[in-house]
Amino acid sequence: MGFSRYLLRRLGYALIVLFVIMSFNFAIFRLMPGDATKMIIDPMFTPEAIAELKRQFGLDDPPLVQYFKYVGNLFKFDLGLSFSTRRPVVNELKERLPNTMMLFLTSFTFTTIIGISVGVFTASRRGTFSDNFVTGAGLFTYAVPTFWIQLLLLMLFGYYIPILPIHGTMSAPPPDGFLLQFLDRIHHLILPAGSNVIVAFGSWALYTRNTMLEALGQDYIVTARAKGLPENTVLRHHALRSVLPPIVTLIFGALPGMVSGAVITETIFSWHGVGKYLMDAVMQQDYPAAQGAFYLIALAVVICNLAADIVYGIVDPRIRVGEGGAK
Amino acid sequence: MALLEVRDLKMYYKTLRGHVKAVDSVSFDIERGKALGIAGESGCGKTSMAVTVLRLLPSNGKIHGGSVKLDGVDIVKLDDEEFRKSIRWKKISMVFQGAMNALNPVHRVGDQIVEAILAHEDVSHQEAVTRAEELLDMVGINPKRYKEYPHEFSGGMKQRVVIAMALACNPDVIIADEPTTALDVMVQSQVLKAMEDLRKRLDLSMILITHDLSVIAQTCDNIAIMYAGKIVEYGNVIDVFDHPTHPYGMGLVKSFPNIKAERTRVRSLPGFPPNLLAPPKGCRFHPRCPLAGDICMEEEPELIEIGSNSHKVACHKVDMLERGVDIWEQ
Repeated sequence: MGFSRYLLRRLGYALIVLFVIMSFNFAIFRLMPGDATKMIIDPMFTPEAIAELKRQFGLDDPPLVQYFKYVGNLFKFDLGLSFSTRRPVVNELKERLPNTMMLFLTSFTFTTIIGISVGVFTASRRGTFSDNFVTGAGLFTYAVPTFWIQLLLLMLFGYYIPILPIHGTMSAPPPDGFLLQFLDRIHHLILPAGSNVIVAFGSWALYTRNTMLEALGQDYIVTARAKGLPENTVLRHHALRSVLPPIVTLIFGALPGMVSGAVITETIFSWHGVGKYLMDAVMQQDYPAAQGAFYLIALAVVICNLAADIVYGIVDPRIRVGEGGAK
Repeated sequence: MALLEVRDLKMYYKTLRGHVKAVDSVSFDIERGKALGIAGESGCGKTSMAVTVLRLLPSNGKIHGGSVKLDGVDIVKLDDEEFRKSIRWKKISMVFQGAMNALNPVHRVGDQIVEAILAHEDVSHQEAVTRAEELLDMVGINPKRYKEYPHEFSGGMKQRVVIAMALACNPDVIIADEPTTALDVMVQSQVLKAMEDLRKRLDLSMILITHDLSVIAQTCDNIAIMYAGKIVEYGNVIDVFDHPTHPYGMGLVKSFPNIKAERTRVRSLPGFPPNLLAPPKGCRFHPRCPLAGDICMEEEPELIEIGSNSHKVACHKVDMLERGVDIWEQ
């Protein structure tokens, strides 16, 4: 099977998944207890006014018609008006997306680098104190709930040693000058991103360590050592390189979790992003806002999965059979 | 002076229940251009011996004494970094057992050869590539396949690549550990032939480790038979095959059918190899030996020369055996 056909098939799956999510997304918020109209419609309104409001928000149509309108609008990137702010959901998401991306990319980059490095380090020192200590620490932070660690960090660095801001994406009012604004943002980023790294590096370190140990027992590692290659080259070029495919899959497989984890992180640190927007929307029974945010997160998850498949095909030559020139 | 002189080499694996004496006082010589076959049952210490010479020991394996002299230099005493740079692959290279797994699946075969060259020689990448292509050609693989991955090769071709790789730095000694075991008989003979031709052409010394006596008979000058971590019989291939003298050596040769000789029953040796955590006192073979007497249970026999041609045997009952008694008959 050629690489392009492999890609097309993956793409097809992704589209099907998107369609299913889209439909669930529509249904799930309407099945939640409570009535959205209560949030926007005052019982004192005249019946005419209520009917007019319901019409404006498209709530007077039968569910099936609402569904088709919803799907049609999705294709036009029209996510409707937020019940609570009366502004288009798309605009609100656009405002918040850069913040979420910044937090996400920072957490992701550092978690990957730190997690894999720690894994390689512990694998090369198997059974020593440093291996046991780092592995134990990783296991601990992986096992405890995210929010618990985040709240502890908040308490530690926001109250006992108040060196880091405890909420928001920047100071209000922001400092003058680009450089100071930039530093201010990083200052605000340290706690949420740092806590994400602390929570997530453990599982990647452990996974890297275990696959590395397995690889280090392989015959080709003995070959590499016998060739007189320096131990560092054996570790990185031979062992790590050959376990990269499963690690990359794990990393991209973990992306969806990190995206959705943004809901908790952003809520705890009052980060002005998509995750917190979703949380607020759900609390206020704001269907269009919740649907929009939810759909965006789902879209991110599907894209991450697709990216994982593509990267996997690139790093593992065995998947590319038929493309390399051999029979 | 022989090219490689191994004296009293001891390597033990440390386990929770004590030391496993996998290689226990092993001595042998290899002259330049000669091949030594090492034969024995599974678990007798053949592979352990090979990895001890190249110091590729797992973390629980340790050399407990003895010397390995290459051109007069004791390479056991070199520090790790020096050993890695100046001995591994440069002087002693290895052809590994599992043809299927000895190559890294995620690197191109040519690159894996180039890597070995660049680790030891001060040449440009392009020169190393040219050399790798020559090596592939030498073992009968089209140099155009330099850029392919191991999974695109058959088992026999992978083994050829491994051989080409072993030759990359013009070593003095090649250790071949069961180089053909994973291959079928046809491919096995092609690979062996390729190895023999190259060895003769390049005047290489070789240690060939196998449990297949026919492979040794076909390719080696001398043979050492190992039992429970020790060499029990050593000598010229013809001497040992014609007149196996140690009871174990005799049993091993008899257990192999000879298609040219009279039709006889193939013998099997009764019993099992001993546990190397606590090897039997005295001669390690005595629990399975039909000749075992009191002295065999008490004293360890020395490897002593019998007859001519440096045929050596470690057995207390050697006088009796030299008269040609067939102890495994009946």
